[in-house]
Amino acid sequence: MTEFVRDTYRYRELIWALALKELRVRYKRSLLGFFWALLNPALLMIVLTLVFGTIMRFSIDHYAVFLLSMLLPWTFFSQCLAYSVDSVVGNGELMKKVHVAKLVFPVAAIVSNIVNFLLSLIPLALLIALLRFPLHWTWVYLPVPMLGLFLFTLGTAFFFATANVFYRDVSHIVQILLSAWFYFSPIIYSLDFIPEKYRWLFRMNPMLYVLNGFRLSIYYGKLPSLSSSALSLGCGIAALVIGFSIFRHYQNRFIYYI
Amino acid sequence: MKEAAVRLRFDNVVQRFRIIQERPDTLREAFAKFRRRTSFHDFEAVKHVSFQVAEGEMVGVIGRNGSGKSTILKIIAGVYIPTSGEVTVNGSIAPLIELGAGFHHELTGRENILLNGLLLGLPKREVLRREAQIIEFAELGDFIDVPVKQYSSGMYMRLAFAIATEVNPDILLIDEILAVGDGEFRRKCFERIEQFRTLGKTILFVSHDLGSIRQFCDRVLLLHGGELIEDGPADFVISRYEALLAQHVDSLRTQAW
Repeated sequence: MTEFVRDTYRYRELIWALALKELRVRYKRSLLGFFWALLNPALLMIVLTLVFGTIMRFSIDHYAVFLLSMLLPWTFFSQCLAYSVDSVVGNGELMKKVHVAKLVFPVAAIVSNIVNFLLSLIPLALLIALLRFPLHWTWVYLPVPMLGLFLFTLGTAFFFATANVFYRDVSHIVQILLSAWFYFSPIIYSLDFIPEKYRWLFRMNPMLYVLNGFRLSIYYGKLPSLSSSALSLGCGIAALVIGFSIFRHYQNRFIYYI
Repeated sequence: MKEAAVRLRFDNVVQRFRIIQERPDTLREAFAKFRRRTSFHDFEAVKHVSFQVAEGEMVGVIGRNGSGKSTILKIIAGVYIPTSGEVTVNGSIAPLIELGAGFHHELTGRENILLNGLLLGLPKREVLRREAQIIEFAELGDFIDVPVKQYSSGMYMRLAFAIATEVNPDILLIDEILAVGDGEFRRKCFERIEQFRTLGKTILFVSHDLGSIRQFCDRVLLLHGGELIEDGPADFVISRYEALLAQHVDSLRTQAW
C-alpha cells in the first residue's frame, strides 16, 4: 500500500501526461474538442430531464436530479472500468520495449476519467439551477463520497486489468457485470421501493454507500450517517488494498502474457 | 584490468521462456486445460551469461538471429526479470530498442517529446529544458506541432533518436536501429554516439553491421544459442563470428535451439 502511494507520487508527471494524452486523443479531430467533456453530460441530462420530467412522471419529485445524483458517479465508475480493463494489455507493446512502472497505466486511465467526472459536475449544477431545484449546502460533503468512489474504482480497475492480462474474456465479462451491477444498485430507483426483507441483500453492495453519499448531499440535502460515511471510505480502501496487492503480485509476469 | 567503475554486471544470468503451444488466453481454454494437458517446453534464451561492462566502454554484441542479443538488452533495460542469476545496473539507461516505442500517433511531435521523455524516466522540467535541442537535432522545424502520424519514417526516427540520446543516460542501449535511415541521418547518429563515448558513457551496441561494430567498439561479445561464447577485442571476436557463419549450415542448425 505504501508502494502504491510512493509510486503514484514518483510517477505523477508521467501519469498526468498519459491521462492528458488519453483525453486529447479522445477529443482530437472533433470540432468542439474538449468542450465535449461538458457538453456530453449536459445533453444526457437534458434528455433525461425531458423524458422523466414531462413524458414519464414518477412519484419522485424532480426525478432527473434524483437520478443524475447517482448516475454521474456510476457513469464514472463504469467508464473507468471499461477503459482500464485494457490498460495493461493495450500498452503491452510499450512495456516490451521500455521499463515502465506498470501501475501508471490503470492509474492514468482513472485520472483521465476523474477529470471528465469533475467537469460533468458543472453542467449538473447548472441544470439544478435551471430547474430551480435548491443547490444544497451539503455539496461541500461531496469530496468524501468522491474519495471513496475514486479509491474503490482504482482497486477494481487494478483487479480487472490484472485478470484481463491472463484471460482476455475478462473485458467482456466486465461489460455484463457492470450492467447487472447497475440494476442491483438503487440508481434508477430508491432503496425504499425494495421490501424490507430483501434490503439486506442490497446492502451487500460495496458501491451503495458511496452512491448514497452523492444522492443524499445533492438531492436530499442531508448528510449520511457516520457509519455510512465510514463504510463508503472503508469499501474504497479495502478495494484498493485488495486490488493493488493482486496487481503487484502478478505484475512481473505480465510481460510473458502480452 | 579496468580501473573505471562497473556500470553493468551479469552474473550467471539465465532467462527462460515457457513456450506454451496452446496457452490458455481465454477462460474457455483454461477450462479445457483440465481435460487435456497443454504442451509446453522451456526455452532458454540466455544461458548462464556472465560479463561486466565498465564506465566509458563501448561494447558490441553480435550473434546470429535468435542468439539472445535483444533479450540481454531487454534484461538490462528492466523489461524482463531474469529467471536466475544476478544483474547489476549502475546508472540511468536509455533503451534504443525500438525507436519511437512510446509514440502516440495522434499526438504532435512536441507532445510526444514530453511523453517519451517521461517514459524514459526524466522529470518534466528536464524534458522541457531539452526540448529545443531535441527539435534541433531532429531537424523537424515546423513539423514539431504536427501529429506524428503525418511524419515520414525518417522524421519519425530522427525524433525518436534525438529524444533517447538527449535524455543524457549513463548507459545507452542500441539495438540494430541504425540500419534504417538514410546516410545523412546515420552519420549524425554516429557522431552523437562518438560524442557519447568521449563523455565516458557506457554503450551497448547490438548490430549485424560488422563494419560499424569494428569502427566503434573496443570490445565485442559474441552470443550463440543464448551462450556467451566469446568476449574480447573487436577484431578477434569478429573473425570468430565470421568463422562461425562460414561453418556448414547443418552444423549450425543442430547447435541452435
